[in-house]
This record gives sequence, structure tokens and C-alpha cells, in this order.
Amino acid sequence: MFRMIAAEHQPNEENDRHTQLLRGVLDMCLLALLARQPAHGYELVRRMETAEFGVISYGTIYPLLTRMRRLGLVADEQQASPSGPPRKVYALTDLGRAHLDAWQKQWNQFADSVGALLDAPDHDPSRS
Amino acid sequence: MNTINSVLAEAERAWRAHGVVRADRATLAGDLRLDLEAAAADGGDPVQLLGGDVTGFARRLADEAGVRRVRRYYGRLLGTALIGAVLGSLLGYGVLAGLYPVFVHAFDIPRSITIPVQLAVAVFYGVPAAVVVAGAVTTVRLWLHDVPEIRRTARLMALLLPVAGIVATPVTMGFASSTDYSTAPGVLFVEVAIVLATLAGATILARRLALRERPQTSGPPSPHSTQVNSA
Repeated sequence: MFRMIAAEHQPNEENDRHTQLLRGVLDMCLLALLARQPAHGYELVRRMETAEFGVISYGTIYPLLTRMRRLGLVADEQQASPSGPPRKVYALTDLGRAHLDAWQKQWNQFADSVGALLDAPDHDPSRS
Repeated sequence: MNTINSVLAEAERAWRAHGVVRADRATLAGDLRLDLEAAAADGGDPVQLLGGDVTGFARRLADEAGVRRVRRYYGRLLGTALIGAVLGSLLGYGVLAGLYPVFVHAFDIPRSITIPVQLAVAVFYGVPAAVVVAGAVTTVRLWLHDVPEIRRTARLMALLLPVAGIVATPVTMGFASSTDYSTAPGVLFVEVAIVLATLAGATILARRLALRERPQTSGPPSPHSTQVNSA
């Protein structure tokens, strides 16, 4: 569903894995970014890149924002821009904040479980 | 701006093919234009921005926006109408073959009454044509009962098919006349094609008109109706 343009230096298999992982958390990441500060869609692409997720196509983020808007997790309003046409700025709603909190707890639990499994002695990559 | 327009035109085609209704297409396009113009002002290329695949993007966007979609079912509609017309013509032929001798036997029109030849021709050809149209419309109405707006489609077919028949008849007759009423296979093929194409066009038009949006007093909320929650 998502079409990602990953960094060129990464091998294909690694890119696919990265895409799969991102697919499950992209909505949560966007909510987290919007929780810090409202932003327009194009700005979110930059922020995701700055957060070291690689280059994610605007064509991926825009439909996702549209879905989250339909679900009431984010809301948008037009704001005048000093350099160009008005921009649609997205912000988190109360419902979005509640979802973000719940998803964050779920993610932490999940990441702890995966981490515990990977840190088990027979999976330690440093062992020869 | 030209690039944005061409992207939006491509998206519009994709939404049409996806069955997105006009009002929702306009909303999606308006929103998308705003974002693309803002991105272009920052130096972004609209096509690259959307990942190169505008059609795929447009479909994803429509799905995620939860817009209303209406499938047109042109193939099923035309196929069913054709089957109904064939059934109707068989039925019409049977009825005519059965009733004609009965009427001839039952009614003896005095020789003093002159029947205009136009009326005789209209009745002779009009009744079977009406049976064929009735067969097509009834079959569509019954067999495609699960298709949205099929009642309205059938009603419009009942209106437009006779008009199409009236239009197709002189055109076909004119063509036949121009070939000196040749019975060559090629000429007959063109004559049949003219009639079928006109009837198919009327059927498609009926479907398109049936799917045109009507003013609604209530309906599903717009996908873009949320407001910014001031923090």
C-alpha cells in the first residue's frame, strides 16, 4: 500500500524490511510529529527525513493524513503563508492524542518483547 | 501550474474510473491542488512529490478518504439488456405468430374503413419493438436487482430506448436506401451495428443519468469536515 523511496545506499532487502516496519508505525509517527507541532503535509515529509526514517514520498503521507482526518485523529485548517499560497496545516485532535498515547504504550510493550527476545543469549550476534 | 493541472487531470481520470462521485472528486481535487501549489512554491515537482504513480496515489487517496463510490456496471448492464432483448424478441415473435391469426379470424374490418399505411406499419413494427424494449428493461430490472440505482436506470431505459429506436430507424433505412437495399453481408452487418450501437448508447446514457447525483437533504458526513481543535 505504501510506496516508499528509500535511501539509495541501502540494499534492496534492507529497504523492504525498513518499509515493512515503517508501514506498521507510520501513522503513529505522524501523530507523534504533529503532537510536537502542527505542520503541513510537505513539512511532515521533511520532518520524517530529519528523524532518520529516510525519504518517504509525499504520496504516501498525504493519503494517510487524509485517513487520519476522516477518523478525527487530526484536523486541518488553512493558514496564510508569507511565501506562496495558503497552506493546509494539520494538528492533533483530542481523539488523536488519546490514540497516540494508547499506540505508544502498545509500541513500547511490543518493542520490549522483541528486544528481550533478541537480547536472549542464544541470539546475541556478538557471540561467535 | 501546468504540471499541477496535468496531475489533477490524471487524478480526476483515476477517480472517475474508480467510481468516485462528482462532489467527492471536486473536494479531493480542491484539497490536493492546495497542497500541490504549496509544495510547488517550495520548489517541489508535483509528480515526483506523489511518488511518480499518480493513478495509484489517486486511488489510495480516495480509499483513505472514505469517499462514496458508485460502480457503473456497464458490461453487466449491456449484456443483460441484450439477453433481455433477445428473450423479448422471441416472446414478441411467439405472441405475434399466435395472436395474428386469432385477430384476423376475430375481427373482420369492413372494406369501407381505410387504415393509413403509416399506422399499419407503426403497429406492425412498433408492437414487436415495444416487446423487445420491455424484455430488455424487465430483464435488467429483475436480474440486476443488486446493482445500485437499477430501478432508476430501468426507468430511464424505458424512456430512452424507444427514442433510440426512433432515431436509429431512419438512419438505418437511409443507409439501406443508399446501398439500394443490398442484402450483402457487409451491408447487413453495418445496419445491425447501427441499431445495436444506438441502443447500447441509449442504455449507457440511461445508466449515466441514473447515477447523476441528486440533491440530498442528508447523507454521510464529508470526509473533510473536521475542524482544528485549539490546544
